[in-house]
Amino acid sequence: MRTKKEKKLGKLFTPSVVISLTVLVIILVCVCFADVLAQYDPNELDIANMLKGPSAEHWLGTDKTGRDILSRLLYGGRTSLLGALGVVGISIVIGVPIGLLSGYHGGKLDSILMRICDVIVSFPALLLAFVFVAAFGRGLFNAILALGIIYIPMLAKLTRSLVLVEKNKTYVEAAKSIGFSDMRILFSQILPNCISTMMVELTLDLGYAILDLASMSFLGLGVQPPTSDWGAMLEEGRIYLTTSPLCAIAPGIMIIVTVIALNIFSDGIQGYLDPSQRKLPSIRSYRKLMSKLAAKKNAGKAAE
Amino acid sequence: MGKFILKRIGQLILSLVIASILVFIFVRLSDTDPVAVILGGKQTSQETIQAIKEKFNLDKPIFQQYLLWIDGLFHGDLGLSFKYQTGINELIGPRILTTLGLVSASSVIALVIAIPLGIFCAVKKHTLWDRSGSIFSLILAGCPSFFVSILLILLISAVAPSYPFTGTYSNFAEYCQRLFVPSLALACTMIALASRVMRSSMIEQINAPYTMTAVAKGVPQGRILFKHNMRNAVIPVIAIVSIQIGSMVVGAVLVENVFSLSGLGTFLVDSITSSDYAVVQDITIMLVFLFLIISTLADIIYAAIDPRIRLK
Repeated sequence: MRTKKEKKLGKLFTPSVVISLTVLVIILVCVCFADVLAQYDPNELDIANMLKGPSAEHWLGTDKTGRDILSRLLYGGRTSLLGALGVVGISIVIGVPIGLLSGYHGGKLDSILMRICDVIVSFPALLLAFVFVAAFGRGLFNAILALGIIYIPMLAKLTRSLVLVEKNKTYVEAAKSIGFSDMRILFSQILPNCISTMMVELTLDLGYAILDLASMSFLGLGVQPPTSDWGAMLEEGRIYLTTSPLCAIAPGIMIIVTVIALNIFSDGIQGYLDPSQRKLPSIRSYRKLMSKLAAKKNAGKAAE
Repeated sequence: MGKFILKRIGQLILSLVIASILVFIFVRLSDTDPVAVILGGKQTSQETIQAIKEKFNLDKPIFQQYLLWIDGLFHGDLGLSFKYQTGINELIGPRILTTLGLVSASSVIALVIAIPLGIFCAVKKHTLWDRSGSIFSLILAGCPSFFVSILLILLISAVAPSYPFTGTYSNFAEYCQRLFVPSLALACTMIALASRVMRSSMIEQINAPYTMTAVAKGVPQGRILFKHNMRNAVIPVIAIVSIQIGSMVVGAVLVENVFSLSGLGTFLVDSITSSDYAVVQDITIMLVFLFLIISTLADIIYAAIDPRIRLK
């Protein structure tokens, strides 16, 4: 029972959204069908053909142990994208319920949960991930878990702020008067109305998860060899930068293209949901900082 | 104002206490035995192990270990490294200089590029110039700093192969030379961020009623733009840059790694890899301290500029 949005919606399929969506779909298809598309086993060693440039057999050349770079890119995309999905998944599974409960019930529970979130947010994100990895060991799984936990507070805070707006609307009151339970109202009434706005944040988060995960792998704290991953490939390839630059550049470009496409796509959804914001392209941290400043301003105004 | 500063410093101390406890506990959750790291895989007698435990305070209860660590921090004694078995102070000293230099140089670079870019985009609002400016910052924001570093290395080796950007330095000029390229790479995110903020706050100022008054009075356009609008527009940029500098301290890890600069970040990652947890907890708490100090300072500066905040 979704209420109709009173808000005026903008155009969804603007040229930039179409282009970014196409790019994302192409990347997704390539990565999903890596088994079919890749001509070589990503871990197959071929010492005789190491560090070769692009050729008919190896379109993007080979790396330091003669592994086909294109095949490794395709399989590496799996690790990178699935890893990023894992990070965002963890933050959804824990962050959204926290935000829902905190916003709906308010009171002590709300202030305790939000204090914890504030503490996590007040530390530099990557540093927390480092400490986590130092405690529980290096590896893809721990890196995903660490980043997932770090992404929780931001999503929880966003969900909470959305719930605070939604819970005073008439459809919630109607649902209450019918006698729906709180849980039912939260998950089947309020949540569907928040999802569209959450999508904007989630697509951005996905891009940043790819970046953060690549950073961890680049430092050798995330994905461990011989697993292929864009961040780890960059790390392995940079030693041979002057002789065969494609080793490092190819995965780097894949990361950038994916992240920028996700950013533009998220920007497009935002423009669709709120056309007045169209002219302000969104960068997550930029918006985070702006909301911090706005909060400060409001606090100042309230005191006046 | 005094009350506000006191309150912020109180929050800072509280956050530091929480952080120190968390870091201390997390580091001890690791299942690597510190004695094994200290010995480096060598076999020794029970007595030596006991002696090592005493030397590194590992024989004492956890709570006492924590207090000893904090006590050491207050006296400027960071303790002993497991791996090097020397004082962490001597190990960290020169590395702090590298990291701080990197972060401050890249903030300056970022501001020098971002502020004019933001003003330019605001003045040319909604034109092709503005759009390309937006796209430029969008791309910069999506580029991981370590990839930018790699591209810069490639570019330099192609264009100016003689430019020395790696290796050790012996004087200040060389120090600056070594740090310039890494700082440029680290500045990217900040350029993207600051130019956007500058653009939107500049547009806000240009549309403000006082600008129209100035135009009506016949003040020259350049003067309105740079003397009136820019001064007001730069305030949120300063606030955002100072918050961002905090995360740059950690972001420097990646850039240091690419350029093999021996800064705090590389040392931290090396220590995590070699399970040298005495160093991990020291560097982490130092980075958190730097991060929190900078954000506290930012809050205080912001309150000094905008009196409404300190009334809270």
